[in-house]
Parts: sequence; C-alpha cells; structure tokens
Amino acid sequence: METTVQTNAKELWSGGDSPFKVSYGKIMMWYFLISDTFSFAGLLISYGAIRLSQPAHNPEIANSWPDPNEVFAAVPFVHGHYPLVFVTFMTFTLILSSVTMVRAVQEGHNMNRSGVLFWLSLTILGGLTFVGSQAFEWSHLIHEGMTLKGNPFGAAGFGQLFFLITGFHGFHVSIGVLLNSWAFLMTFFGAFHRRGHYEMIEKLGLYWHFVDLVWVFVFLAFYLL
Amino acid sequence: MSNLTHEESIKKVWKVCYILAFVTIFEIAAALLHYYQMPESPKWWLNILFVVLSAAKAYYIMSEFMHLKYELRTMTLTIITPFLFLVWGIIAFLWEGGYWLSLRQLWQ
Repeated sequence: METTVQTNAKELWSGGDSPFKVSYGKIMMWYFLISDTFSFAGLLISYGAIRLSQPAHNPEIANSWPDPNEVFAAVPFVHGHYPLVFVTFMTFTLILSSVTMVRAVQEGHNMNRSGVLFWLSLTILGGLTFVGSQAFEWSHLIHEGMTLKGNPFGAAGFGQLFFLITGFHGFHVSIGVLLNSWAFLMTFFGAFHRRGHYEMIEKLGLYWHFVDLVWVFVFLAFYLL
Repeated sequence: MSNLTHEESIKKVWKVCYILAFVTIFEIAAALLHYYQMPESPKWWLNILFVVLSAAKAYYIMSEFMHLKYELRTMTLTIITPFLFLVWGIIAFLWEGGYWLSLRQLWQ
C-alpha cells in the first residue's frame, strides 16, 4: 500500500498530473495575480512612504496631507458637502459585482448557460457603473483644481498618487469589463458549452475578485486612513 | 473543490456579501463619526481598526470568492507566503518616509 502511494506522489510531480489539483490555466491566473499584487503593493507602499514624508493633516500648513473627508465630498446631481457618500456607492457596486461573478461561476459549474449569461451581464454592468463613477470623481476633482501639478486641498503628492493608483486600478477594472464582455459573447454563442466546461468564467472570476480585493486597500489608503 | 451543494454555496456567497457590506458600512460610519463628532481626538486607534477590518475583508474575498479556502493547502501556501515580503516592504518604507519628513524639517 505504501509503495503505491509513493509511486503516485512521484507521478504527480513528474508532470503526469497537477499536484495542486487545479488546472494549468487557473494556477497561472493565480501566479499572475501574485505578480500584480506586488505591482499594486509597490504603488501603495510608495503612497505610504510619501505620505509620511509630508506633514500630517493640519489646516494651517499649506502642503500638509489632505483630509479625505474634505476631498471626497461630492455626489453627482446633488449640491452640498457629503463626505464619503459617493465612494460608498462605488465600493458597494464593486462588492455586488463580485457576488454576481461568483454566481456566474456557480451556474457555469451546473452548465446552466442562461444563468451564466444573466449573472455575467450583471457583473459587466457593475464594472461599467464603477468605471463611470470613477470618471465622474476624476473630472470633479480635476475641475476643483486637483491635478498632477497641484492640489488645493494640501500636498500635491496626494493628487498625483490618487490619479496614479486609482487610474491603475480603473485600468484593471476596464480590462476586466472587456474580458467579461468577451466571455459573455463566447457563452452566448455556446463556445464554452461545446467545450464541456465553463472554466474560463472561473479564471476571469479570479481576476475580477482580485480587482475587488485591490479596491479594499485603495479604499483604505485614500478614503479611510 | 468544496463539498458544499449548489444551494449551500449560493447561500454562502450571499452571507459573505452581507459581511463585506456590513464591515464597509461600519468603516464609513466610524470615519464620519470621527469627522463630525470628535475631529480633535487622535485618529490612530481608528486607523488600526480600519487596517484590521480591511484585512478581514481581504480574507473573506480570498477565501470564499476566490475559493482559496477550498483549494489544496500546498497551493494556498505557495500563494500566501510571497506576501510575507510585503511585511518587510511596508515596515521599511514607512520607516523611511518618516525619516524623510524629519530630514525635510531639519533643512527647512
């Protein structure tokens, strides 16, 4: 009995089978996401270092670090000072689109094509809403004078890092929307059904949840701390 | 792969959704409470709370949404262990940032 186990273990690691019981595509998506984590971590750690190299928030010091409650206080079509309200909406959009993505993956396990189409379309809608909200937020802040050159709320580094990091994140969301739309069409024309499995939806799901995961930390760095 | 049935995993997903939503609302409420009610009080204890809650959200997203909890342990470890480098990165660079500030103030 013991020898059998050993032989099997050897075969597993000799390329006969996946040692992690995960397909090649899924493990490669995971390894890509690890490398992408380091890209985002590099950006967010730079944010932390640059932030601590500036004076902490103080209305009397011109180049001190701004208070997020002062910067992020606009809501579309509404006048007035509503700190963090709009970003809460954006965060919920992203969380919900992650949930709909899981539902699409689950329907894919059941080979339920119409279920995958339904939940995937909601995910795409959530992604588009998020990118659209970000476009509003950016244009509003640029209108208020926060650009790569200066920041009326305080340290210029805040605006520069904000556009760099949320821009990189928004770029990821946009790519995710494009990939999900492609998967929607593939599902619609039955390509995955003929293949016999919906693993592509799972791989895109991993990417999509990663975008949500990164947002947790972007949200933490820029809006909460 | 998980041993949950289709219905059980659907239930689980919505449960995680409620947890994430609740934690987010709690974070926003705490931030606004501090901003409106006690702007003069120090914020460091609130910041620690935010970091802990964000880590909890990250745990739920990775373990449930990204299914990492149900993969083989060896695979989970190959994914999680590289992040230990980040612990060094965060400590080293935040330390450095504080040092830049003291240099800036010294030469002003």
